[in-house]
Amino acid sequence: MNNRATFRIHQHRAYATGIAIGLVSLCLLLLPENDRFHVRGPMNTGHEKIKCGSCHKEAPGTLRQQIQANLHFIFAQRNHPADFGHRPVGNENCLFCHERPNDRHPVYRFLEPRFQKTRESLKPQYCISCHAEHHGQRVTLAEIGYCSQCHKKTRLRKDPLDVPHDKLIVLKQWNSCLGCHDFHGNHIRPVPKRVDRIITAKNIYAYFDGGLSPYGNQLHYKAKKEPENDR
Amino acid sequence: MTDKSFWIKLLGLVCLGIYLFASAPPPLDDKQAQSATIPVQQMFTLLQQENAAVRMLWTKEIVGTGQKVGLKFDEHWRDKDLDAGPLPALFLRETAKSMETSPIQISLFLGSDYPISPDNRFEGLQQEKFRVLRMSQQPQFFYMADTTRYIAMFADVAVAAPCVDCHNKHEQSPKHDWRLQDVMGGTTWMYPSPAVSLEELISVIIVLHRGFHDAYAAYLEKAKTFVHPPVIGERWPRDGYFLPSAEVFMQEVLVRTAPHTLPFLGSLVDSAENAEKSHDVVDQ
Repeated sequence: MNNRATFRIHQHRAYATGIAIGLVSLCLLLLPENDRFHVRGPMNTGHEKIKCGSCHKEAPGTLRQQIQANLHFIFAQRNHPADFGHRPVGNENCLFCHERPNDRHPVYRFLEPRFQKTRESLKPQYCISCHAEHHGQRVTLAEIGYCSQCHKKTRLRKDPLDVPHDKLIVLKQWNSCLGCHDFHGNHIRPVPKRVDRIITAKNIYAYFDGGLSPYGNQLHYKAKKEPENDR
Repeated sequence: MTDKSFWIKLLGLVCLGIYLFASAPPPLDDKQAQSATIPVQQMFTLLQQENAAVRMLWTKEIVGTGQKVGLKFDEHWRDKDLDAGPLPALFLRETAKSMETSPIQISLFLGSDYPISPDNRFEGLQQEKFRVLRMSQQPQFFYMADTTRYIAMFADVAVAAPCVDCHNKHEQSPKHDWRLQDVMGGTTWMYPSPAVSLEELISVIIVLHRGFHDAYAAYLEKAKTFVHPPVIGERWPRDGYFLPSAEVFMQEVLVRTAPHTLPFLGSLVDSAENAEKSHDVVDQ
């Protein structure tokens, strides 16, 4: 056996070993226990124990069917592309656990034509516009004065607050809104009637960042647990 | 060697072609692969007729008559310490909320240019369309590119005394001279396709009826918690301090909606059959 043949044998062995190590690593990485090694970032507050598969559902069909369907779409043989690998994660995944009959600002309401300007700036019709996952926070929106988008004309005829709402609006005190009202209205908490008793912006930012709730822990509805078979 | 390499490459390409294009596995369902021949405007008109019939039923038979026998209705009806049910606008909102839980993307909203809550006032394009609607009394159909939704707006007319009385008396109302038959606001419907198949249309009607059912069921659940809960069963408020069960209520919904919905669906089936027959004749 000449040197060249020996070299080729070693080379093939090296390739085979590399491929085997790669496949074993890939299999280990895909085990549900090892999800944490390939997530985009830390799960948001309260989502720490949720498994990837609870939101990232497999797309319908086999890999071959998905490839064929998308090729058919490219060649105008079907009207819509098919999901590939996993279905996109959308509002319905969030609402599976967080849907509540008393939601003050349900996402679907922002699809109404009159919210067009708000959709352009905030995109409130999507849960992830404020709660982008894999950021290790509760609310990922950087500002707390977003109520200005829709409530500039809010007037109360019998205003219970010591500084009336219309005055706060004229003074552009938009960071004060969340001091009394939590956006989704799920906390059981008496609304303060004095502006000096409201929750401070600092505490609200800390809550957004994943800190304790300044609105208290009493909730109208608790989030559903993920289904057992997804765990 | 060159020949061998050529044949290997050719075999590889044939295998790849079979994998990619031969339909050994059944193809995946395509969204809206069914024949969508019914313009969405027709669907909206049908849904509006259904909604108007149920709105009338709720407003007259439950709210109007119910108030006379001691039942209460309030905008804060979900508050635990309030023994009340939803006002007509809130019954519609409950219906719309239930519809949103369906994977079928049909949406319903209610608004006005003189709403009790200023936050429900129409804005932008919706306000412009509502102005035309109020003047012409004709439904408005349009498309919103940013949400890719086809939209219909219909007049919400004061059909019963409780609508007018409540809005005129309400302290937050910006208008206190409403009269019967006034256009008090508008219902807005949205759907993502310009046309629907008969199957899609029936699915949407089912979603709407489930919405009516869920809205009424939510009220019954609340009514059971009243300090003096009404008797729930076969009888209606016109018979006394009673409420119909969800089944009885939905039966009445069908009685009131069927006279216009069934002929419409029948005409669609007829036209589909005629189209099929003429297609067969052409084929022969």
